[in-house]
Amino acid sequence: MNEQLLTTLLFLPLLGALTIAFLPRQWVQAIRNISLGFMAVEFLLSLRLLDGDFSSGAYQFEVNVPWVEAVGIHYHLGVDGISLWLVLLTTALTPVALFASWTSVSTKVKEYAVAFLMLQMGMLGAFFALDVFLFYIFWELMLVPMYLIVGVWGGPNRVYAALKFFLFTMVGSLLMLVAILYVVATYKELAGHYSFDLAELTRVALPRTAQCWLFAAFALAFAIKVPMFPFHTWLPDAHVQAPTGGSVILAAVMLKLGTYGFLRFAMPLFPLGSQFLGPTIAAFGVIGIIYGAWAAWVQKDVKKLVAYSSVSHMGFIVLGIFAMTRHGISGALLQMLNHGVSTGALFILVGFLYERRHTRDFEDFGGIAKVMPVYTLLFVIVTMSSVGLPGTNGFVGEFMIMSGAFLARGEVGLGEYWFVMTLFSATGVIFAAVYMLHAVLKIFFGPITKDVNTKLVDLTGREKLTLAPLVVLIFWIGLYPAAFLSRMDPTVEAFQDDFRSRYRAQLSLTDATLMPAAGASAANDLAPARDPHAAHAPEGVAP
Amino acid sequence: MMDLLPIASLLMLVSAGLAIMLLDVFSKGRAELAFVATTALLAAAVMSAVGLFSPAPADVPTFITDYLSVDKYGLFFDVVIALGAALATLLAGGYLREHGMERGEYYVLILFSALGAMVLARAVDLLTLFVGLETLSLGVYSLVAYRRTSARATEAALKYFLLGSFASAIFLFGAALVYGATGHTGFASIGESISDGHADIALSVMGLAMLVAGLGFKVSAVPFHMWTPDAYEGAPTPTTAFMSVVVKTAAFAVFVRLLLMGFGDRLSTSDSGWPTLVSGLAAITMVYGNLAAVGQSSVKRMLAYSSIAHAGYLLLGLAAAAKVPTEAASGILFYLAAYTVSNALVLGALIWSGSQGKEATSFADLAGLGRRHPAVGLAYVVGILSLMGFPPTAGFFGKWYVLSAAVQADMVGLTIVAVLSSAVGAFYYLKVLVFLYMKSPEEGAPVAVPMRSSYVVFALVLASYFVMKMGLTPARYLDAAVAAASGLAG
Repeated sequence: MNEQLLTTLLFLPLLGALTIAFLPRQWVQAIRNISLGFMAVEFLLSLRLLDGDFSSGAYQFEVNVPWVEAVGIHYHLGVDGISLWLVLLTTALTPVALFASWTSVSTKVKEYAVAFLMLQMGMLGAFFALDVFLFYIFWELMLVPMYLIVGVWGGPNRVYAALKFFLFTMVGSLLMLVAILYVVATYKELAGHYSFDLAELTRVALPRTAQCWLFAAFALAFAIKVPMFPFHTWLPDAHVQAPTGGSVILAAVMLKLGTYGFLRFAMPLFPLGSQFLGPTIAAFGVIGIIYGAWAAWVQKDVKKLVAYSSVSHMGFIVLGIFAMTRHGISGALLQMLNHGVSTGALFILVGFLYERRHTRDFEDFGGIAKVMPVYTLLFVIVTMSSVGLPGTNGFVGEFMIMSGAFLARGEVGLGEYWFVMTLFSATGVIFAAVYMLHAVLKIFFGPITKDVNTKLVDLTGREKLTLAPLVVLIFWIGLYPAAFLSRMDPTVEAFQDDFRSRYRAQLSLTDATLMPAAGASAANDLAPARDPHAAHAPEGVAP
Repeated sequence: MMDLLPIASLLMLVSAGLAIMLLDVFSKGRAELAFVATTALLAAAVMSAVGLFSPAPADVPTFITDYLSVDKYGLFFDVVIALGAALATLLAGGYLREHGMERGEYYVLILFSALGAMVLARAVDLLTLFVGLETLSLGVYSLVAYRRTSARATEAALKYFLLGSFASAIFLFGAALVYGATGHTGFASIGESISDGHADIALSVMGLAMLVAGLGFKVSAVPFHMWTPDAYEGAPTPTTAFMSVVVKTAAFAVFVRLLLMGFGDRLSTSDSGWPTLVSGLAAITMVYGNLAAVGQSSVKRMLAYSSIAHAGYLLLGLAAAAKVPTEAASGILFYLAAYTVSNALVLGALIWSGSQGKEATSFADLAGLGRRHPAVGLAYVVGILSLMGFPPTAGFFGKWYVLSAAVQADMVGLTIVAVLSSAVGAFYYLKVLVFLYMKSPEEGAPVAVPMRSSYVVFALVLASYFVMKMGLTPARYLDAAVAAASGLAG
């Protein structure tokens, strides 16, 4: 069973989509139940991933079979500490997102469910893939269902928003495609055969200039997805127009694929490029933190506010990744989860309000804490998590990232900019409190200004049920993060060691070289003059 | 008699064409000619496919091999051309009857044109090349003009014919110059003559440029593309399908063979010779085709410009073939096979969307169609995603292989041009999906009602099968393409 676990997880949603595709469209309730059933089974199965051994950095549940042997494409899947929680986030939040739009999507329910299941498959595939080709396929594949979700079930300006989303992402990923092809062509030249396997391709050591260009191509694709300032402009459009479920998945999972892509592909493939350009990207992350916060502050539309707050929060994650310290990367990984949970919850909450009033304008609300106490309580909890109040998940993540950035002064990391970046990112936390509390104040407190608002009904049982798991996660991660961090840390450590040794080994290269296999020992193997036993001696003691 | 076995698929088409003529006369128009023609074409495709996967025939007499090659490259194209033509006859079987145009000569013309295309793909001599080219073209001119009463179709056909004749003349002039320069008409002999220095290089280059211009017209490369939008739009849609897949495939087949065999050595260095010329053509063709497609309101015209853009990607592969012949040629082969099924699928879906009295041609005709008729919508989605080069479809792997060859040939700049222009391409392809799923028809506008025809449905099922099959399990098809291409390069 364990050998087939990832394959099962990957294709179960497809099976669900096919099943639903053959149901008559009138059976609305049955379609909803069956799709939710598939997702529930998917989630329960995905919990078995926790049984894996995450005490080392090695991939668990690996599958590797040839797909197109002639050009070295393999069906190679695996999960490690970096992807584990993102996978669980995906399987947990997809049903929540679908459940949240239970009533708001009443047309073409069948197609909606199929699109969600296909989307889930695409996202899981991208997280599982250890073959660059396979990753690219899933990366592209998830675009279509999302495009349809925004374009068919979205708001009034949905066609524009969907197209913008699609084209932005596509331009980035096409340049990444060229970069992938370049790496593979170099590999072919050096090794004599094709391979798209990540582990094989990381052996290709290119000169610094080439690495910078290639890293830039990858970074563009991922930066658009994250989205990082200045490539974020598709995000507010897509979020505002998307139906609630679409917004939740977009914010909670799809954006993470960008930051995940940096960690899994761009940085291991091009250590020199990522160290050279990393501080710049982190700087754009910091700009994004502040810009996103300021932009969120002036929004009149609650959903737009949440969208811009995403830009701000994702900036933290980028900063954490490029700090290249253990705290920074672990914090970034944890913050990916946190952002998924809290922003997902915010979109769901905004969606519930929109269903009742069909407006998201601040001006139309005020004082509704009096009529919707439970809603208000949940909204405030999620707000606290979003602004990073101690005791909630947001605090742990942001604190780790900032302490990680503060320590990022080693040979890899932020270089001399560590202080400026940490300082400015810290102001982002303050701004976050400003815009979120401002929003809470305007919506919930003060006198009720509009008569319609007096008749608002509080959350129904289904709605409370939708939000319950998210609230539990907010406090769970906030109070006991070790449960999550313990499965990330070994991988993060291995990732860092690997990165550092590869970086050192490649630093002096002038021509493209194929490094020996088994990444960690690469640095030592490259220096044949050195005594092989010296490799085990502590750092600095070696002759 | 056994001597002729290697070219059995060609003979099959000749005899089927003749048989259909007789059948049409004696049955007084009641025979299912579409069925007969399709069966013959599919039989030819299967026959060639068997040949493709079996060992090469020994001892083929030189009276064949001097003019027509019997290699796997030819067999591969036999399969693609026969399949493309079969899809066209299937579509015609539904379309012509629905729109009251069913006449026997249509199928005969398709069969003979397909024969010309196969000859073209197998040609190893400038003379055979020209004979094949004319057999193909004359048939297609008539197929474009098939709707005699329509001024649009007549205009399109006349334009196509005049420009086509002009291109043929240029091609012939080029062939004459090459003959003058080298003293040979066989590709291999031309190549030898140029590489060992006997040929007059200046004259060869001039001749080569004219040959490229002539073939550039057939593959609708910019700036020889003027006829494409009008001819595609004016022709009956099955003809459009035939033109866009079979003509392009055959022309590229001979293009690759001619340049690699005839001008492979001294005229294909990276900074001079045909790779530079072809790269330039590729760049303007990709960019122009994609940009011009954006503003179209007719789906057929959009597909015409998109076919120009696809010619650009293929030219990119061709330019790469100078450096990495096997990778690039096999990429082109796979791409052409993928393009054949994908484009036939989209045009087939377009045929399916209309019925008597109301053909679907513009984007507005498609408004809301995907919701009213999910099966039609699905056919569009699969075809469009494949044309866009989206996984997991045939078009994705085609694009991937061609781009991969271009990167291996160190043409990174042009590859970036290709991917960026294909991002523009995504915009107009998505427009089809926007109209299918996200728009409703205008009030009072005539609504296109899909026709009922088992021929069309069968064609779409066949095409979708290959689009998905080549996308999900491309290994077998790629192996075939590599086998075909390596015979050519080695």
